[in-house]
Amino acid sequence: MSESNSWTDQWFNAQQQFVDSWTDMANASNTSSQKSQADLWAQSFEMWRKASGNQPQPDIQQAINKCVNMGHEYFAMAEQVSKAMSGGANPVDAINQWMEQLKQSLQQFSSLPGFDINGVNDFMKQWFAPNQSWQQMTAAFTPMNQAAWQIPGMNASVFNMGETIDPLGKVLEAPGVGYFREPQEKQQRGIQLAIEYHQANHAFNQAFLKVAMESIQGFQGRLLRLDSDKTPKSLRELYDLWVEISEEHYAEFAMSAEYQTLYGDMVNRLMTLKKHYAEITDDMLRAMNLPNTAEVDTMQLRLQQVRRENIVLHKEIDEIKEVLSTQDAPTIEADTMQQELQQLRQENTVLRKEIDNIKATLSKSANGAPAAVVTSAAAKVKSRPATRKKAPAKKTVSKTAVKKTAAKKKTAVSKASKGA
Amino acid sequence: MSDFQFRSGQEVVDEVVQFNQNLSKSVKNLLDADEISAGVTPREEVYAEDKLKLYRYQPSAGVVQNRTPTLIVYALVNRPYMTDIQENRSTIRGLLDSGQDVYLIDWGYPDRADKYLTLDDYINGYIDRCVDVLRKRHNVDKVNVLGICQGGVFSLCYTTLHQDKVKNLVTMVTPVDCKTPDNMLSHWVQQMDIDLIVDTMGNLPGEMLNWMYLNLKPFQLMGQKYVSMVDVISDEKNVKNFMRMEKWIFDSPDQAGEAFRQFIKDFYQQNKLVEGGLMIGEREVDLKNLKTPVLNIFAEQDHLVPPAASKILPKLIGSKDYTELSFPGGHIGIYVSGKAQATVTPAISEWLNERS
Repeated sequence: MSESNSWTDQWFNAQQQFVDSWTDMANASNTSSQKSQADLWAQSFEMWRKASGNQPQPDIQQAINKCVNMGHEYFAMAEQVSKAMSGGANPVDAINQWMEQLKQSLQQFSSLPGFDINGVNDFMKQWFAPNQSWQQMTAAFTPMNQAAWQIPGMNASVFNMGETIDPLGKVLEAPGVGYFREPQEKQQRGIQLAIEYHQANHAFNQAFLKVAMESIQGFQGRLLRLDSDKTPKSLRELYDLWVEISEEHYAEFAMSAEYQTLYGDMVNRLMTLKKHYAEITDDMLRAMNLPNTAEVDTMQLRLQQVRRENIVLHKEIDEIKEVLSTQDAPTIEADTMQQELQQLRQENTVLRKEIDNIKATLSKSANGAPAAVVTSAAAKVKSRPATRKKAPAKKTVSKTAVKKTAAKKKTAVSKASKGA
Repeated sequence: MSDFQFRSGQEVVDEVVQFNQNLSKSVKNLLDADEISAGVTPREEVYAEDKLKLYRYQPSAGVVQNRTPTLIVYALVNRPYMTDIQENRSTIRGLLDSGQDVYLIDWGYPDRADKYLTLDDYINGYIDRCVDVLRKRHNVDKVNVLGICQGGVFSLCYTTLHQDKVKNLVTMVTPVDCKTPDNMLSHWVQQMDIDLIVDTMGNLPGEMLNWMYLNLKPFQLMGQKYVSMVDVISDEKNVKNFMRMEKWIFDSPDQAGEAFRQFIKDFYQQNKLVEGGLMIGEREVDLKNLKTPVLNIFAEQDHLVPPAASKILPKLIGSKDYTELSFPGGHIGIYVSGKAQATVTPAISEWLNERS
C-alpha cells in the first residue's frame, strides 16, 4: 500500500507540475521558447509508469499505449491552439494560425527525404496512422524484406530524389556470370523488388500527404461556412470537428480509383518481394538438406486430401453401423429366411405329393417309363441346399438386395414347381 | 464565422487540465484492471473437430424452449464472443431468455496446418457435421441457422445446398452483393492479387485484416475513440466493458489460405452470389433454389457491410417467406447496444417461434 502511495504521490506531483506549466503558458505572451507541454506530459506519464512498477496484461498495456499516444496528440493540439490564443489572437485568427502551422509543417515534411513519421507535426500524426500501422504490420511478417533493406547505401531517402539518381547504378542490371550466376541474379532481383515495393509505399504515403494538406484547407473552409451556433466552442468540439472533416476527406480518397490502384500496387509488390525471398530461403534450406516451405506445403496439401477422404470413409462407416445397430437389418434378414423356408416347405410338400403319386403309379405298373420323371424331380430337390447356403453371406447387404434375393428364390421355386 | 465563440485562454487551460485528470484516472483504472474474460454465459462443449468447437449455451431456467435448436454460425474473421460480450449486452443471453436453444460454432485460430481448408470444407464439412450433431441430439430433421456477417454468407450457401436440414434461416449483417458502390472494403480488394497473397502468405495474417478494418475510419477508430474513452473509463466500472470490446477488436484470427482465396475472389471480386456461378465443392449455389424461410437483419450505419449489400437478398432467393429487419445502428452495435438487446434479439426469437 505504501509503495502504491509512493508512486501515486509521484504521479500527482508530476501532474501538478503539468498544471502549473499550462497555467504559466496561458499567462505568458511569448511561449515560443517553452518546452512542449505535450512532451512534458508524456515524460511525466512515463516517469509515473516506471515508478508504479505495475506490469499490466498485454491487452491493457496496448490500450494504455494508445491512450498515451492519443493524449500526446490531443495535448499537442491544445498546446498549439492555446499558444496562438495566448499571443492575443481572437479565436478565429488563433485557429487559422494553427491551421497555417499545420500546413507549413506538412510542406516541410514533404520536402524531407524518406517518410519518417517523427518529422510530422505531433497533431497531424493522426493523418499518417494508416501508413505507420502499415509499416509496423509489414515489419512483423516480412523479415526478409527488412534484411534486404540493410544493404549499404540503401535507405528510404533515395525515393525522394526522383529520377535524378539511380540508387544502385547499373549494379542490378549486371548479368550474372559463372557458377553462382543464378543465386546472384536472384539476389539482384530481390533488391530490385525491394526498390519497387518501397517506391509503391512511397507513392501511397505521398498521396496521403496530399490529401492531408487538402483536409486542412477543407477544415478552414468548413469553419468559415458554419453557422455560429454550430461553431466549436471548446477544444474538444474543435477536435471532433477536425475528426469529422478529416474522415470525410479520407473517405473520398479511400473510395477513389487512385487509392485502389496505389493500395493494390503496394500490397502486390510487397507480396512479390516476400515471395521472392521465400523462394531464396527455400533454395538455401534445400542446399542444407533441410525441409523447406514448398515441401511442407506439399505435405500439408496431401494431408488435407487424406483427411477429406478419411471424413468420407468415417461417414460411410457410421451409416453402416447405424443400420446394423437399429435391429432393422437382422429382422429383415430373418424374415426373408423364414419366407424362404416356408416356400421350401410348401415346395417340399408338393414334391412329396408328386413322389407319392409316382410311387403309387409305379406300384400299379412295372413299366420303367416314368423313371425319367423321378430323376428329374430328384435332381431339382438336390440342387436347392446349395442355393440356400448363400443366404448368410447377404447379411450386410442393403434391404433392396435382400428383397431381390427373396424374389429370385420365389421365381426359382415357382419354376421348379412348374417343371415338376 | 464572424460569431465564433471560443473559450477564453483560461477556460482552454481548465479544459486541458480536466482532460488530463480524466486521462490519469483512466490510465490508473486500466493499470488496476484484472484480466479480461471473453464471453459470459455458461456453456458446454458438445462437439469438437480440428480447431472447431461446438458449444451449447445453458438454457434459461423457467423458459419454454423452442423445440428446434438454433445454430449460430459466426464469421471466420473475428471471434464469436462478440455475441456474448457482457452480461447486459449479450445476443446469446437474449435468445436463451426468449426460449431458443442456442448452439454456436467457434472456429478457433487456424494455423498453417489449416491453410488448405476450403469453403467446401467449412460449409459442406464443418457446418454440416455440426448441424448433424444438433439433429441427432434433438432428434429433429431440421434446425434453425443464424449466420452472422461472413457466417451469414456461409449459412446462405449451406441452406441453399442442404435445405432438408434447415428449418429457418436468420442472416445478420450479411454481405450478399459485395460490389455496392459504398463498400470500401470491396473497393480496396479489387486490384489486390489474391492468388499472389495466398501463395505467398499461406494463411492471411489477422493483422492484415485488422489493418483494413481500422483504416475504414482511421480518425475515429485509431484516434477519437481513445480521446472519448477518457470520459468513459475514468469511471472504473466501465473499464472492463471497454477492455472487452478492445480485446475483441484486435482479436482477429489468421484466415485459412484457400478459404480466404475463394471467399475474396468469388464473393468480393466476382460477386458470384449475385452474378451466379458460385461453386462450393462440386455443387453450384443458386440462391433461387433457397426456399427456406429467411429473416434478414442489417444495420443502417454499417461501415463494413453497407445495408445495400444485404437488402438485395429477397430479389435473389426463391423463398416466399422473407422478412427484413432494419436496425438503426452499426455493425457492432447490432449485437452490443442496449437498443439491439431490446429490439433485435426479441424480434429474432419471435420470428423463430412463429415458425416452429
